[in-house]
Amino acid sequence: MQTIVTDALIIGGGLAGLRAAIGVKRRGFTPLILSLVPPKRSHSAAAQGGMQASLGNSAKGWGDNEDIHFADTIRGSDWGADQRVARMFVHTAPKAVRELAAWGVPWNRVQKGDHSSVINGETVTITEREEAHGMITARNFGGTAKWRTNYVADGTGHSMLYTMSNQAIAEGIEVHERMEAIALLHEDGRSQGAIVRNLITGELIVYLAKVTCIATGGFGRIYRVSTNAVINQGIGTAIALETGVAKLGNMEAVQFHPTGIFPAGILVTEGCRGDGGLLLDAKEHRFMPDYEPEKRELASRDVVSRWMETHIRQGHGVKSRFGEHLWLDIRLLGKAHINSKLREVKEICQYFLGIDPTESLIPVRPAQHYSMGGIRTDYRGESPTLKGLFAAGEAACWDMHGFNRLGGNSVAETVVAGMIVGEFMADSLTSDATLNISSAAIDSQVKTVVKELASYTNSNNTENAWQIIEAMQSVMTEKVGIFRHGDQLAEAVTELQSLSARAENIKVSDNSRGVNPELCAAYRAKKMLKLSLCVASGALAREESRGAHSREDFPLRNDRDWLKRTLTSWTHDNPVPVIDYEPLDVMQMELPPGWRGYGGKDRIDHPDTAARQAEVDSVQGGADDRFAKQQTLMPFTDCLPAPFRGRNARLSEESDA
Amino acid sequence: MFFKNSLGSPRGPALMDMLQSISGLILALFMWAHMFMVSSILLGNDAMYWVTKMFEGKPIFGKGYPILVSLFAMFILSLIVLHAFLAMRKFPATHRQYRTLHKHLGGIRHTDSYLWYVQVITGFALFFLASVHLYQLIMHPADIGPFASSDRVWTGRMWPLYLVLLFVVELHGGIGLYRVLVKWGWFMGKDPKVGRKRLTIAKWLLTVFFLVLGLMTLAAYMKVGYEHQDKAGERYEPAQYSQLHSASQGGSH
Amino acid sequence: MNAATDNTIPVKVSTARTIEFSIFRHNPYDDTSEPHFETYKLEEADSMTLFIALNEIRAQQAPSLQFDFVCRAGICGSCAMLINGRPGLACRTLVSQLPDKVTLMPLPGFELIGDLSVNTGKWMRGMSEHLQTWIHSNKKVDINALEEKMEPEKAEQIYELERCIECGCCIAGCGTAQMRSEFVGAVGLNQLARFKIDPRDDRTDADYYAVVGDENGVFGCMTMLGCEDFCPKELPLAQQIAYMRRAMAIAGID
Ligand SMILES: Cc1cc2nc3c(=O)[nH]c(=O)nc-3n(C[C@H](O)[C@H](O)[C@H](O)COP(=O)(O)OP(=O)(O)OC[C@H]3O[C@@H](n4cnc5c(N)ncnc54)[C@H](O)[C@@H]3O)c2cc1C
Ligand code: HEM
Ligand code: HEM
Ligand code: SF4
Ligand code: F3S
Ligand code: FES
Repeated sequence: MQTIVTDALIIGGGLAGLRAAIGVKRRGFTPLILSLVPPKRSHSAAAQGGMQASLGNSAKGWGDNEDIHFADTIRGSDWGADQRVARMFVHTAPKAVRELAAWGVPWNRVQKGDHSSVINGETVTITEREEAHGMITARNFGGTAKWRTNYVADGTGHSMLYTMSNQAIAEGIEVHERMEAIALLHEDGRSQGAIVRNLITGELIVYLAKVTCIATGGFGRIYRVSTNAVINQGIGTAIALETGVAKLGNMEAVQFHPTGIFPAGILVTEGCRGDGGLLLDAKEHRFMPDYEPEKRELASRDVVSRWMETHIRQGHGVKSRFGEHLWLDIRLLGKAHINSKLREVKEICQYFLGIDPTESLIPVRPAQHYSMGGIRTDYRGESPTLKGLFAAGEAACWDMHGFNRLGGNSVAETVVAGMIVGEFMADSLTSDATLNISSAAIDSQVKTVVKELASYTNSNNTENAWQIIEAMQSVMTEKVGIFRHGDQLAEAVTELQSLSARAENIKVSDNSRGVNPELCAAYRAKKMLKLSLCVASGALAREESRGAHSREDFPLRNDRDWLKRTLTSWTHDNPVPVIDYEPLDVMQMELPPGWRGYGGKDRIDHPDTAARQAEVDSVQGGADDRFAKQQTLMPFTDCLPAPFRGRNARLSEESDA
Repeated sequence: MFFKNSLGSPRGPALMDMLQSISGLILALFMWAHMFMVSSILLGNDAMYWVTKMFEGKPIFGKGYPILVSLFAMFILSLIVLHAFLAMRKFPATHRQYRTLHKHLGGIRHTDSYLWYVQVITGFALFFLASVHLYQLIMHPADIGPFASSDRVWTGRMWPLYLVLLFVVELHGGIGLYRVLVKWGWFMGKDPKVGRKRLTIAKWLLTVFFLVLGLMTLAAYMKVGYEHQDKAGERYEPAQYSQLHSASQGGSH
Repeated sequence: MNAATDNTIPVKVSTARTIEFSIFRHNPYDDTSEPHFETYKLEEADSMTLFIALNEIRAQQAPSLQFDFVCRAGICGSCAMLINGRPGLACRTLVSQLPDKVTLMPLPGFELIGDLSVNTGKWMRGMSEHLQTWIHSNKKVDINALEEKMEPEKAEQIYELERCIECGCCIAGCGTAQMRSEFVGAVGLNQLARFKIDPRDDRTDADYYAVVGDENGVFGCMTMLGCEDFCPKELPLAQQIAYMRRAMAIAGID
């Protein structure tokens, strides 16, 4: 068997993995990237809408800063996030945008003078400042107080990913494409690389590395209706779980995007609503203001998705042979705007629906979209339980999104996490990381994998892997979806368990050399079932509603009992994951729990909240500048790698000063 | 050195690409001009005679020097040789490449790719057809004129060659001009895709125009040649010397 | 009447056609495998794309069938193949727009991985390395400072060319690229044009000439225009090649 040795093994060639690799490389170490597909095909390319960073150049973003971005993020998370990590994130995001700008991303720019724009269904005139002309501009996105989403037409992720990937090529970073990590190598609580399957030849390869980083993106494909790419099966997350040592955080926190086109689930960007698009029901009535008079279509995603489903349940959905849906109306934005700024949306409508969105309404319904949960790491991106295992991007749960992530915060997170985690990996390589795994350990772990793969060709097996995956996806979409209920969740757990039992019996009929798609489906089915069980069990256990996790039997957010992070781990013979919790300390929070500004107002408060709020109020009322206040409330700069500690320059602050 | 540019990169590729287009452009424009001149026969024998003499330099020297035609034909021939040499680099070089190309063209059903292949084939044919024609003119530059040409066309049995040559050259030149414009991005207008559509239409209109003109011209030569076959070899005397009045009606009927 | 008032979603009504798919099959890693076509019958469903059709064929009839899909939304460039002889993105091709018999073949010009799957990634990385498709700049980046300004129009212009998804249709649709494997193709030339118009890139025309000023580069293009006509992103490829050709011709003889 071929063995490849490297300093840092980075599993995943999306934005997060690429940026982490660049960081490691620039510190003088050798990174090596594995990817299922050529990096530029990673799902980061699908991000249309944009990337949040508080540059505050545009008129509607003027005065924006880290503090406001921070507050939006925490409110969005429904206070489930790690506030220190969120602080690190909002501080680094502007740097990430600026770095990308220097590397070549053609961010849309501020055009001085008057522009007409559609806000709240009405055309208004926005006047951009002369001095901001040519600076990076921003659009409106859900759940934000300022226009903060930097964008490149509606191909933001595409441009970012191409730029990042090209930069990695420029740095001479090796990428082994069409490689799938199917097990992590580890010994004595230290991660030491991975066992990898070549998706061209079908061979197994051992990659040994001093540090390993999982940046494999989300696991949306455990759902039937998802905006995610078909490769977003969460195998990277699953292999971390399968070590039995690393843990996953908040797996039940799954986001549903309001506007998946119906029924295919392909996403049309939040930018549609950000730019002024409206949601209509069967009578073409604009219903969001009825539920959310203030934020309307632009409340956070979990809220909009829930109101849409509620509205459909109340009989206002448009009926069609595939079920019910609602309408997205972007006609009012005008042809010129749609043809330039929302062209991908137009293409999607044309190719997959056969309609022209400048003239017709778009059928939409919420679809699974984002995995807030993932491999639990500390603020450095390292697993607290499995040393040397890092994670970044959507695959990770360093926990800046809590129970709901804001639109545009994710691609921003991937790059920021790549920057930060890359530095910490390099630090770790500088100090203690070593390659120290016995050949016996490698052998036995490889044997386990070989045995599993061989087991599927047993002629007594009968199950079809694709059918099992489909059944799992249906259970997830129907029973662990937008609205959840204890009874259904319990059913889901039982059904998933029985599917897992059936998965032991999957048959692979063809045994010739090469990638063997049937075999891929077989081992992936098992791993995906484990993730599904983590999601369903976590959801069943969490008896409250928070962010995207919405329990009909426990409709209130319950800070008293549930202000804590779910951790799931998997010991080998267990049929279900082991669940434990990690508390969030209210007394450390810069922004104590409160009302989000949209969605339900009722909640059960944490006993510490009032005390902490008083502390915060007294500091906020003081005379210090915002940096000093922030420093008093929740110091974070020391957590950042030195290169990212500097203050962000801002046009608005320069002119105000 | 000539072969390297100021930064030391070889000039060859740039130069050859430009020369190919320039030679093609000159040839194609010449062909159109040539067509107008040759078609002067449609206006009558006198018109054709006048054009011939002009080419021999009569308006300047007061007397025709057929050697000028010879020289000009040699110039054109060398342009063709240059152009053909440059174009030949683009031909599929191996049997394998031919196979690949045929498979490719067979599958994609794509007009502009077909047109390219039409150019390759017509170019190849031109190499021989044009050479025969030009060889004749270089060797017998004086044998041009309403009767001499018509005799060659009819009695000399050249019309089948001309018929083929006409189609081949009009196709090749027309497609070639279109491709030169697209290749260098000229006359594409604001929206290059719309521009290309416009050019395609213009190209076909011109090709049809020149084919019709060419066929009428060839018919005229054949008619004159047919009527003149008994006296083949005799040279035309312009009407203005004998019968000033009927000059304009000429010998076209 | 607009689509909303008749309360139906605008998908084609089922005709329940049975489509015959003739699919190229070959596994180069299996010594016993010979290239051949195999036929599969499938009943057409509403708004069925080739993505749905192929997955169904694989799940029910041909478990070893190889093909590549990632985004299934026409944005990642993974799924290009020859659909009835012409290059296109399978995921956004509606079966309803195809005749009763459909032939599917892998994209020519790329290394075959198996059946309909080809290694476009390797080709594209090679192209990127060769043409150095990244910003070349000596400026030191200060990520704390205000970003450099750029004309809004310029940014949009760059994005126009950056929309390429490296699907390879322009290579499969180009006779030159098919005949000469070294030719960088429209994808490469367009990408260089993208950097050439970018004010952040310090490279001069002479630098570009060094990589595309030859028969494998811009002068190899014979204006067959398949690239432009088959590009699923409808990039103005002919215009970009012309732009590079003009610049390179001048740089070349300079
Ligand atoms: C349709 C859509 C639109 C979106 N729009 C936005 C937006 O506008 N703004 C925003 O902020 N966010 C958006 N998001 C979310 C955002 O795009 C993703 O969260 C983010 O890009 C994830 O990046 P990543 O680097 O973590 O992972 P990805 O880009 O998904 O990359 C994962 C990588 O891991 C590799 N990989 C996976 N498993 C393995 C394995 N087992 N072995 C080896 N390699 C493996 C893959 O090949 C791939 O290279 C959107 C998401 C979707 C689905
Ligand atoms: C200096 C160069 C040329 C001269 C002086 C010339 C002259 C003539 C003349 C006088 C005729 C009338 C018939 C005859 O006399 O035989 C003729 C016909 C024709 N020539 Fe040329 N020719 C030249 C170059 C070419 C070239 C390069 C081509 C094409 C490759 C060409 C294609 C034709 C054709 C197709 C006809 C027949 C046209 C018709 O009758 O419709 N000629 N040419
Ligand atoms: C009177 C004769 C000819 C005329 C008017 C003519 C005209 C042209 C023109 C205008 C072009 C386009 C050039 C370009 O794309 O850069 C062209 C291309 C071409 N010509 Fe000719 N040509 C003539 C003779 C020939 C001959 C004799 C040959 C063949 C040996 C030939 C072969 C080609 C080929 C293959 C091309 C395509 C080159 C490419 O795609 O770059 N031509 N010709
Ligand atoms: S230029 Fe067009 S056809 Fe070519 S790779 Fe890019 S997107 Fe595909
Ligand atoms: S098809 Fe090929 S020859 Fe040139 S114009 Fe396009 S690259
Ligand atoms: S699967 Fe991404 S373009 Fe077709």
